Amino acid sequence: MKKYILVRALYSVVTLWLLVTLIFALVRLTGDPVAMKAEAGADPAYVAQLRHSWGLDQPLPRQYAGFVGRLLRGDFGHSFEKSLPVRDIYFERLPNSLKLGFAAFVISLALGVPFGMLSALKVNSVWDNAGKMIALLGLSMPGFFVGLVLIIVFGIELGWLPVLGKGSSTFVWSAPSTWATFWFSDWGHLVMPAFALGWYFSGAMLRITRSGMLDVLGSDYIKLVRLKGVPEAVVVAKHALKNSMIPVLTFAGLNLLIMVNVSIVIEVIFNWPGVGQLLYDALSNRDFPMVQGVVLMSGLLIVLLNFAIDVLYGCVDPRIRLSR
Amino acid sequence: MTRGLSLLLVAFTLVATSCGDVAAQQAPILSGALAKLDIKPAQLEGRGAPKGTLTIAMHFALDPGWVDPLEHSYAITQMMYDYLVHDSMIKPMPYGYVTYSLAEHAELAADFRRAAFRLRPGLKFHDGQPLTTADVKWTYENFKGAYAKLFHDKLEHIQVVDDRTIVFHFKEPFIDFMDLYNGGVSGIGWIVPGRYYDKAGRDGFKAKPIGAGPYKLVSQQAGVQMVFEAFEDYWRRTPATKTIVVKGIRDGAARMAGLQTGELDVAFGMTGKLLSRLMSDRNLRWDPNFTGPWWLMFPGYNEQGSPFRDKRVRQAVSLAINRSFLVRQETHDISKPWGNWISGENRDALQGTEAPVPEYNVEKARQLMKQAGFPDGFDVEYLPFPPYFDMGERILTDLRAIGIRGKLQSLEGPAFRAKIGQGRKGVPGNRTVVQNIDPRAGGSKSNIAVYAVCGSPASFVCEPQIEALWTKHQASLDAVERERLVKAIQRILLDEYYFVPIYLNSFVHGIGPRVLPEGKAVSKYWDTLNAPYPCPWEVWEVKADR
Repeated sequence: MKKYILVRALYSVVTLWLLVTLIFALVRLTGDPVAMKAEAGADPAYVAQLRHSWGLDQPLPRQYAGFVGRLLRGDFGHSFEKSLPVRDIYFERLPNSLKLGFAAFVISLALGVPFGMLSALKVNSVWDNAGKMIALLGLSMPGFFVGLVLIIVFGIELGWLPVLGKGSSTFVWSAPSTWATFWFSDWGHLVMPAFALGWYFSGAMLRITRSGMLDVLGSDYIKLVRLKGVPEAVVVAKHALKNSMIPVLTFAGLNLLIMVNVSIVIEVIFNWPGVGQLLYDALSNRDFPMVQGVVLMSGLLIVLLNFAIDVLYGCVDPRIRLSR
Repeated sequence: MTRGLSLLLVAFTLVATSCGDVAAQQAPILSGALAKLDIKPAQLEGRGAPKGTLTIAMHFALDPGWVDPLEHSYAITQMMYDYLVHDSMIKPMPYGYVTYSLAEHAELAADFRRAAFRLRPGLKFHDGQPLTTADVKWTYENFKGAYAKLFHDKLEHIQVVDDRTIVFHFKEPFIDFMDLYNGGVSGIGWIVPGRYYDKAGRDGFKAKPIGAGPYKLVSQQAGVQMVFEAFEDYWRRTPATKTIVVKGIRDGAARMAGLQTGELDVAFGMTGKLLSRLMSDRNLRWDPNFTGPWWLMFPGYNEQGSPFRDKRVRQAVSLAINRSFLVRQETHDISKPWGNWISGENRDALQGTEAPVPEYNVEKARQLMKQAGFPDGFDVEYLPFPPYFDMGERILTDLRAIGIRGKLQSLEGPAFRAKIGQGRKGVPGNRTVVQNIDPRAGGSKSNIAVYAVCGSPASFVCEPQIEALWTKHQASLDAVERERLVKAIQRILLDEYYFVPIYLNSFVHGIGPRVLPEGKAVSKYWDTLNAPYPCPWEVWEVKADR
């Protein structure tokens, strides 16, 4: 088992190194941030000073070595556009993305799983057709469209919900007293963006739940349980549900990561100050250190999650660790 | 009785201050002949209790670097933050393009080798520390922003006469000093507390800046929001609004929704498709906020193989553009067809009868194309200023009527700016039409210096005739002659159709119902010349918070 974990850890490190190198190279292909920041006709001395202060006057290998060296010390560098350390800005935004991501995650589960189960249990009925319709709408109506409709109806016409931002509560890492307040206040601001973001994933969740449930319900052991005369509710709740949830939960975990890290469009529409909007701004302005920082942190989360899943699989099923 | 006494006291203060100004002007700082300066006196206004919250949406993410004048970029956006947190020695105000602010008196030697300022008494930074000439000197010496090299290269030494009097000595005549030192043009005149900056450091200052302006930054989330509180000891007046919240909201529809729900009081950049919604909402108001004119350029027009080498083709382009129609379609008739590529708010710009709106005459344009040897027209690339792609398409439709078939390239903002910043070199080939806008402060000469002289990295025009006039301009110490030369250069650029002006753009700002005064009088906040944002902020009034 130790060897298995070590090999998995090594894979993770190599993946991260590849990500570091790729993002460093790719972001530099997108254009010159100095030329973008300096206005037309800027004094060459000002341009040179800007280039120097951003470290872009150094040869690429030296820039790369500096970047990796700083990363090993946990320093992502200074944002070109926001003039502050990337790490500080990222961790200021992360709680907002987590809050939105978790809320959307809960909505996607709350809509997707029960409707998926209902669809599977009442297959080919009106309920099933309704479920299919919801799944179709979820997958075909993009989040930005749902978001705009929500803004017009609940924000502008009815005036029930605020349309901009996350409210006044802030999460301060060094002040634990702010943590609970942050999570449990300003719900009015959260409802629409979370629904718009969770809506798409609920459609996917519904379909996976339905097909998982149908598979399980058609399996031999469920037939046996039914033959034994066990009531249908117990068959579903005790025997079918648990097994049908395995792919759903795996999929939900990945969805959560996506919702936290790349909900760019929803964050822009609702002006939600999360990591997605940070990445969007950074890309638009060729803010190399910020793009690198956000992508690496997102990549790190994914690599860590995959590592944890691999290790768990290894623990649960010895065939996996032996075969690798 | 008490009210009467207060009024008497205010009147006495105003009289005493203006007498002080007169007395200060009567005591010259520099010896010898002085150049004539046209600096308007500061207008002191009332003191009272600030009230209410004003929430403003900018159309892009906020940069904490904007509150640090030492690293002032060329971007005019930074001016908005200068006017909030800091104060300048001289700056544009609604009552004059150059007005006294921290300085109550200024002199410039006739040989342009010395400039002197006297600070007004009792100036304070937000932390209560006095603002003295030591801070003025420190700011100049530590300035790293746009034009820094020029300021530092020209400087011989700075003489601090006393806490309120300072003299800049230059190695050679620095005729543009007062223009460039103006807060509307560069960041060097926005005074920073030297001791605090040294203590806080570069990042520390950006996170918690201290200035001498009407508002203190009390909190910020980088890129998202900045919250400012009134600085009640501000020398000119007590700010009328207690709290100003600035949010960075990129999405236009979100800004519109914020205005409609009352979450925002002012939203910038309400142009294009948002405009009709804004104009049709009875609860909302708007200000046209004229910035600068749109104009077309022809990179490489003077090279072999370029169809634009022939003046008649460039003229045909101008004749083919239906400016009135464009203004109606793009801006609901808010903008104005314009005959120059420089804004009329910029000093020495040709306007009115000196630069009439070019004629719209498609038939004449076709004849010119035929005479130039292009009866069937030709293909071009068309590069519009982002995100004004609809406008680009409309211009292309006009050009198609005379046979010029364009392919529109839609670049995102930073990529476009990067190309234009390289001038001719940034646009490959010589069959491209560039649609640009640049509301630049600093007089018409600053526009010419960037786009129309050979030495500029962003130049699109390099003509011996213009170069000769420009060289003469740069060597001249005579303001009247300089004005004449700047106008002569503009004349050539327009007569030869090197640049084709289109219309004066209105960068419309939306205003919510909480902003006072009621009705159209609210447009008074946009009176400052050459300011794309409605500065100064201390005069803004809103209804009290509910």
